[in-house]
Amino acid sequence: MNPAHIRKVALCAHRPHGCGPVRSPRRSHGTTAHVMCGLSAESRPAHRVLTLRPRTERSIPGPGASLAALCGAMRVWSSEHVFGHPWDTVIKAAMRKYPNPMNPCVVGVDVLERSVDGRGRLHSHRLLSTEWGLPSLVRAILGTSRTLTYIREHSVVDPVEKKMELCSTNITLTNLVSVSERLVYTPHPEDPGKTVLTQEAVITVKGVSLGSYLESLMANTISSNAKKGWAAIEWIIENAERALS
Amino acid sequence: MTSESAATAADVDAMNSVGEACTDMKREYDQCFNRWFAEKFLKGDGSGDPCTDLFKRYQQCVQKAIKEKEIPIEGLEFMGHGKEKPESSS
Repeated sequence: MNPAHIRKVALCAHRPHGCGPVRSPRRSHGTTAHVMCGLSAESRPAHRVLTLRPRTERSIPGPGASLAALCGAMRVWSSEHVFGHPWDTVIKAAMRKYPNPMNPCVVGVDVLERSVDGRGRLHSHRLLSTEWGLPSLVRAILGTSRTLTYIREHSVVDPVEKKMELCSTNITLTNLVSVSERLVYTPHPEDPGKTVLTQEAVITVKGVSLGSYLESLMANTISSNAKKGWAAIEWIIENAERALS
Repeated sequence: MTSESAATAADVDAMNSVGEACTDMKREYDQCFNRWFAEKFLKGDGSGDPCTDLFKRYQQCVQKAIKEKEIPIEGLEFMGHGKEKPESSS
């Protein structure tokens, strides 16, 4: 397979230790955007109120700038979220996040590779398949009828430092758009009964005249999906507590 | 009580594999892994992996499915024990 097919965008270049090396950008032409599941649905977590400190979107400086120039449009979304559970509990839930009612579009999850490195950290490489529902008009504009998208995920769990880092990126539709996410779970610095999740996403869309519209659409979707993700973790914690013991 | 928790565990773990034929193997492996992860790994005992055999069978099935579906996974054959992604700093 062509190595340039997989792109870990500038997001992971900022923290190569967690996410692996950034591959060189792929020159491509495209007028379509990949949008993660949940575009048409909005849901709010039904469980306890969780602290949220969203940051405003900004362009990526530094390494991202050259990618932006090459690709035409890039947007970053980031957020910080606090779970009212200790780190171990959240991590156990994160490792078994799917299926859950908040992310119905994830239809397949597989572990490709898993190992413990020399520093005692667990590395997992996973493949996720998602079915996404775009409004038909958007699909007609975008010019794709594909609905099954594959995402590759690499996570590292450090049980001593108590840090879980997860990077994911789409590996299909990469000639059209790239969506990369990075999640880091750490214990709350002031309260060991809580866990902080910092989350970032980078979207790269190439040569799209509707670029900024699709970007905001995707940023909104990512934001909405992030909220579903937090609710999903809560759901797993509450429903799997009996099963986990 | 065991049947209830078993049902909950089954629901929570009832995720499909990307390859339809691999789903049962995946679920069996996941149950083994989740137990080891929660009871051993997170508690500091990362040595020894009781799920190796299960994982091998499951992985073979998945690799076959990936080839059949032409999913663009690069470097899968070369992945082994975290070698593909060197960790150089914390």
